[in-house]
Amino acid sequence: MRSSAVAVRNVTKRFASHQALDSVTLDVTASESVVIFGPSGCGKTTLLRLLGGLDVPDDGEIWLGGVQVAGPGRSLLPPYRRRIGFVFQDLALWPHLTVSGNLEFVVDTLKVPRSERHRRIDDALRLVRIDGFAARYPHELSGGEQQRLALARALVGSPRLLLLDEPLSSLDAELRAAMRTELARLQKALALTTIYVTHDREDAAVLADRVIEMRAGRVVTATGTARTEGRA
Amino acid sequence: MNPSSRAVVVTLAVVVFALCSLAPVAYLLAVALADLDPAGLWLDARQRQLLWNTGLLGVGTATLATVIGAPLGVALAHVTLPLRSFLRLALAMPLLLPPYVVALVWTYLCGGRGVIASLAGRDVLSGWTYSLPAAILVLSLVYYPLSMLVTEVALRRIDGRLEEAAVVSAPPLLVLRRITLPLAAPGVLAAALVIFVLSVSEFGVPGLLRVRVYTTEVFTAFAALYDSSRAMLLAVPLLLVCLIVAFVAVALAGERLVSTRRGHGTRPVLLEGWRVPAAVAAILAVGLSLGVPLTVLVREALSVGSLSAVVEGSGRAISNSLVLAAIGATAVVAVALWLGYARARSSGCLGRLADVLFVVAFAVPSTIVGVGLIGIWNRPGLVGTVYGTDVMLILGYLARFVPVAALAIAAVTRYVPVSQEEAAAVGGAGWLRTMTRIVVPQIRLGLLTAWIIAFVLAFGELGVSILVAPPGEATLPIRIYTIIANTPPSHVAVLALLQTAVVLSPLAVLALALPLRASAGARRVSTAAGAREAR
Repeated sequence: MRSSAVAVRNVTKRFASHQALDSVTLDVTASESVVIFGPSGCGKTTLLRLLGGLDVPDDGEIWLGGVQVAGPGRSLLPPYRRRIGFVFQDLALWPHLTVSGNLEFVVDTLKVPRSERHRRIDDALRLVRIDGFAARYPHELSGGEQQRLALARALVGSPRLLLLDEPLSSLDAELRAAMRTELARLQKALALTTIYVTHDREDAAVLADRVIEMRAGRVVTATGTARTEGRA
Repeated sequence: MNPSSRAVVVTLAVVVFALCSLAPVAYLLAVALADLDPAGLWLDARQRQLLWNTGLLGVGTATLATVIGAPLGVALAHVTLPLRSFLRLALAMPLLLPPYVVALVWTYLCGGRGVIASLAGRDVLSGWTYSLPAAILVLSLVYYPLSMLVTEVALRRIDGRLEEAAVVSAPPLLVLRRITLPLAAPGVLAAALVIFVLSVSEFGVPGLLRVRVYTTEVFTAFAALYDSSRAMLLAVPLLLVCLIVAFVAVALAGERLVSTRRGHGTRPVLLEGWRVPAAVAAILAVGLSLGVPLTVLVREALSVGSLSAVVEGSGRAISNSLVLAAIGATAVVAVALWLGYARARSSGCLGRLADVLFVVAFAVPSTIVGVGLIGIWNRPGLVGTVYGTDVMLILGYLARFVPVAALAIAAVTRYVPVSQEEAAAVGGAGWLRTMTRIVVPQIRLGLLTAWIIAFVLAFGELGVSILVAPPGEATLPIRIYTIIANTPPSHVAVLALLQTAVVLSPLAVLALALPLRASAGARRVSTAAGAREAR
């Protein structure tokens, strides 16, 4: 458990009569990119929300970087102390803040000097290639640029774990392919531990070191991909 | 009915709205501007003092009501308060209290021989009893629920995922300050502007607390000095201020005025640790704004010799009020239904124009509406036959309350998808049949709510009624207002208590029914949320 970047132990989550997660156990090593794959309603988003601290498991334990962050019915570490970056399905960009304002909100919570904060924002924008749009508002960006902003916001706080909840689902096929390649590039460059939720097999093939398939709240298979074999 | 039946019915409603709500204002503006002497209007020291007092009353009330109401709205939206639905209703109740009744309570509480003086053994507050700060405090205690409810709605409309995206990076208070509150700010500001307009339009409270503002001066000029041209001249600056502020409020609120959608996503609880302070603050607010007025009224009323004699002495005013408010509310809803429907199905410029007209019409001070109605209807011939009858009171209720009822009905009508009407039309139903069989049954609860709101407002209406009521006829508010000076406080308290009981009883019934509905609703919501969340 201590050697895993992420350790999920027998986690169960129920919403009223619906069993969202049923005794899920999962380990992710540092710098590994795991894709959680499965149909709608299989519990993959619920698992991501539990890792992010946005929900609490009914039973089981969640460990991040060797620290227990959640136990049965309680959160042991609030979301903002877990050092995670989260890209939401609908991006959830703050409409009243500019591009740099969206990133500033995140870096303002870090205990770093002001000059360092500006440097981090510039670096993050450059990394996702929207450094010319700092003064724009989210609604002034194209779909692809908004996607990049969501990524920059998730990365600017230097997270130890990046969680992505079907971030490409709203894009058209062409843009989706381009963004997928962009994500793969970033993963490689940053060597970040990543958990990516999708129901698209192509996303899984391009982005995953390991694909975990879920159905009806349970992990049914966990397989390495061609990418992992190539790496080995 | 042919396809144009919709145009005919909606046009008729628009004509009634224009005649009742807009024509008095237009008439007043036309008459006042025809005789306008700009120098007399602006350079008169008395006018400047009036403008200053009126402005202070509006700004002071809007600020204090927001300071009290907005944090309570935040608490209702972001703190898991015990008995939240019940608390929300209790906190909202003061909005239904006739403001002059609360002012009356204030005089009983703080006057030279009031409750506080008798408890303290000396007169400590009488210097403040009849003053501008007292009027600001009284009006703030009546209007803070408006800020509270708008703030809560504004916060609940925010997409929960915007807040979730923030809580993974920042502590809850920072999320509240930098993400949540800025997103809700336009709504909160619009509510403050509406409170400003309501305060400067209010007649009963400044009248009772002897604060000289435009509304009281208009009333004095018209009813005491019989100087209608001065009354009209005095009305112009107040009218302009109200219209400008109402316009800004509509611009800020935008489609939120008639849209009741809730934000998507799960809402993170941002202030979980604030349960106890928030609950204490809410209970304190209920105590101050509802508990104290009711207790003081009951205390005064208990000292009356014969309860039945007091009620019988005002029996005609009481029955007049009940009957006229019921007829008025029915007429208001009958007109507002079609206006609200038309607004719900309009978008773009036409929709915005309707919003501006509704809010502006609602913002027109009551005494100005009264003077305008008299100007239109007090003339010889067929038109004049209406003047001097109870119909004038109904016209006054229509003028004041159709706009707010139309906005409320527009909001609920938006829940009925247009496709349902289209499906009925494809099935061969005419528009009127579609309305009566498809639309109205689905919004009947909204219509009932609009009727109750209109009834409560009409039952407590004073500013228009006191000007247009036929000689010898009185409603309960007029009766209370006119006997204050020469009747024992206990008699007035009995009538004020009766007035309060009638306006609060619909909400009290609702409050008692809520725990049952809430538990059933919670079961349904948790099941639905579970199914939605488990993706």
